Amino acid sequence: MAWFTRSTERQLLGLLAKESEQLGVSERRRFLKNALTMLGASATLSAVPGTLANSNLPPAVPTWTRSLGRGVVSDPYGKPSSFESDVVRRTVPWLTADSISSISMTPLQDLKGIITPNGLVFERYHAGVPDINPDEHRLILHGLVERPLIFTMDDLQRFPSVSEIKFLECPANGGMEWKGPQMEGLQFTHGMISCCEWSGVRLSTLLAEAGVKPEGKWVLAEGADGAAMARSIPMEKALNDALVVYAQNGEALRPEQGYPLRLLNPGWEGNTSIKWLRRLEVGDEPWYMREETSKYTDLMPDGRARKFSFVQECNSVITSPCPEKPMKVPGFYELEGLAWSGHGKITGVDVSFDGGVNWQTARLKGLVLSKALTRFSLPFTWEGQPMLLQSRAVDETGYVQPTLSQLREQRGGNSIYHKNAIHTWRLNSDGSVNNVQVT
Amino acid sequence: MSRSPDTLRPRGGILFVLIALSILIIACKDSKQDQIATTTGAEHLDTPSADTATHTMDRYGIGTVADAATIAGWDIDVRPDGLGLPAGEGSVEDGEEIYDEKCASCHGTFGEGEKRWPKLSGGMGTLTLERPDKTVGSYWPYASTLWDYIYRAMPFTAPQSLTVDEAYAVTAYVLNLNDLVEDDFVLDQDNLATIEMPNKDGFYVDDRPDTQNRRCMQNCVDPETRVIAEVISGITPTDHFKADGNLGLAFTETPPAQSESNALSEIAQRGQSIYATACQVCHDSGVGGAPLLGSAEQWASRISQGREKLYQNALQGYQGESGFMPAKGGRSDLSDEDVKAAIEFMLESSQ
Repeated sequence: MAWFTRSTERQLLGLLAKESEQLGVSERRRFLKNALTMLGASATLSAVPGTLANSNLPPAVPTWTRSLGRGVVSDPYGKPSSFESDVVRRTVPWLTADSISSISMTPLQDLKGIITPNGLVFERYHAGVPDINPDEHRLILHGLVERPLIFTMDDLQRFPSVSEIKFLECPANGGMEWKGPQMEGLQFTHGMISCCEWSGVRLSTLLAEAGVKPEGKWVLAEGADGAAMARSIPMEKALNDALVVYAQNGEALRPEQGYPLRLLNPGWEGNTSIKWLRRLEVGDEPWYMREETSKYTDLMPDGRARKFSFVQECNSVITSPCPEKPMKVPGFYELEGLAWSGHGKITGVDVSFDGGVNWQTARLKGLVLSKALTRFSLPFTWEGQPMLLQSRAVDETGYVQPTLSQLREQRGGNSIYHKNAIHTWRLNSDGSVNNVQVT
Repeated sequence: MSRSPDTLRPRGGILFVLIALSILIIACKDSKQDQIATTTGAEHLDTPSADTATHTMDRYGIGTVADAATIAGWDIDVRPDGLGLPAGEGSVEDGEEIYDEKCASCHGTFGEGEKRWPKLSGGMGTLTLERPDKTVGSYWPYASTLWDYIYRAMPFTAPQSLTVDEAYAVTAYVLNLNDLVEDDFVLDQDNLATIEMPNKDGFYVDDRPDTQNRRCMQNCVDPETRVIAEVISGITPTDHFKADGNLGLAFTETPPAQSESNALSEIAQRGQSIYATACQVCHDSGVGGAPLLGSAEQWASRISQGREKLYQNALQGYQGESGFMPAKGGRSDLSDEDVKAAIEFMLESSQ
């Protein structure tokens, strides 16, 4: 539908508003809303000053200015505004057999900056969320060590602590899209990722406390949940940057994120960051747990599979616009997106408006940290023309995010995990945005 | 860690800073620290300086030495070479009985998998096909993984409820379903590691990066030869952003039952939380012929025999033509009252 000029639009809305003056407020709101939808007009009610007699818009004095609000501790643990009720984790109902062993996605379309609020961090459980009393929780560290140790939560919080901002991503992020575009929104194509400030102890500190024997090459990490979720971690990673954390974004871990204790392997498959961590065992070989053989291995076209594919390689996606955040009017926009790499820092992001023919370099915005979400931005003016929007990230190893064709050429369509291809949104002339794949 | 009130006073504060500084100075001289900095390379640059203090001492003396008995209770892992297997044994024959009772409702009578629950058998030779079947027989590289997972996490609704011998028996039966052991086979701690899985050589260590894209900026692809694939419509939850959106319930055979808590009796409200942890898995999906929550029709035939009969089947278990119900849904930790409350919730939600 052709765009109305802003002044025509305003005139029309003015007429409609006058037409509906005899209606009650809620009826009138509905009438105007329907009228707007029919017109295909872009403005929302709130953007049209003075159309409602009982409006809270200027020059009227809003109801909240003429009354008192809630007092302190009326809500001792604060919640977002009730107007933000759409900003929630979501799942795809048909994806798994049951919600107890399933996944939900973070609403990336609604987030700013690089930190994911604790209530919106994506969830992945293999046997549901256990309700653990921290006083009764223990971490046992044993195996090929000089001194097998058992720690209480109080013990662990006495060690020198660190706080680091790191992303956490499920290797299945984007996995529904290997064979073709299936998901109609950003939350579902890329939402199995979150980024928090994590606080805890370096795993190397705990290992030094127990004294790893020279033959110790792997660490088994095991959870206290009903899946006793377990994975083998190479000693190199354990001594490098692995953390044993008890806090996220300034407060204790949420139950969904492993309360009271979890492992955090920065830049690696999320499932290796064992939640509800109860046991660390040092060994000389990997254990080949179910979640590192049957699952989280990548089937290749020749019928063989990659194992221990730990790193989440460099990836990026445009978060605004996206299907959930269409364009409303022509004019100036700041295109934004997120980039990340399990190998370190993002060093650059390029954006294409024509489906990968020509590219422009975007600006990295705010903090640019190793193995953290990094926000990029590119201001542009949209005049209502269709576009194919893409982003392409580069990390400090020089690795350039691949095209979908390049990935499929190597891996076929059955590897489920680690799909980090350049993503395409099609911006249509009516401002709507669709997920498409360009090959 | 509790902080002494003294450290909040100015003098204590200065002292605290001095101690912190001296720790940092010591840390810089520590050769062990240098070693770690070398292995971490560039990543070490963005770690906060405070953490250098973690390496100033070899040990902090925190934690308690764990004795063998304490560790043994939690040390359940098993490796492909058999390390970690406890003494015990189980036959295919015994395994079949346990499997039929505790596993078949999700994994299917022959391991074929119900609904979206994992398929355990078959799929040989399918790994290169368009739709590969990754089962225990066709994909899993080691039999130890099967024993470990069954003992650690199965049955799904009652993890770590099987005895060691039962875990051997069920493992033996699942191997038998995949034609990997004979019908009269008895699995034990000595022969498990000798079982060769068909796909044991099917894995190799991650060899990425496997793509070499470059940062082309101009005329990178020919727009004329490009193919654009459109998204499939209707299988994504879109009701929150599309005027004509849907809930993404495609492939979901039965929409989840909606229940209004405030319309429920007190006992049913208590039963609702029990339902969520003990019953939902089967009664939301219909696994094993379980009557679906919200289906008046399916519950009518059950309640027609009277509440006592219903209680009896739920508490003691039931197997018949219409389906299979493990005693208390496999949750022997629940009291009879808990189970009855959950039944009340299901009944009231299914009228």
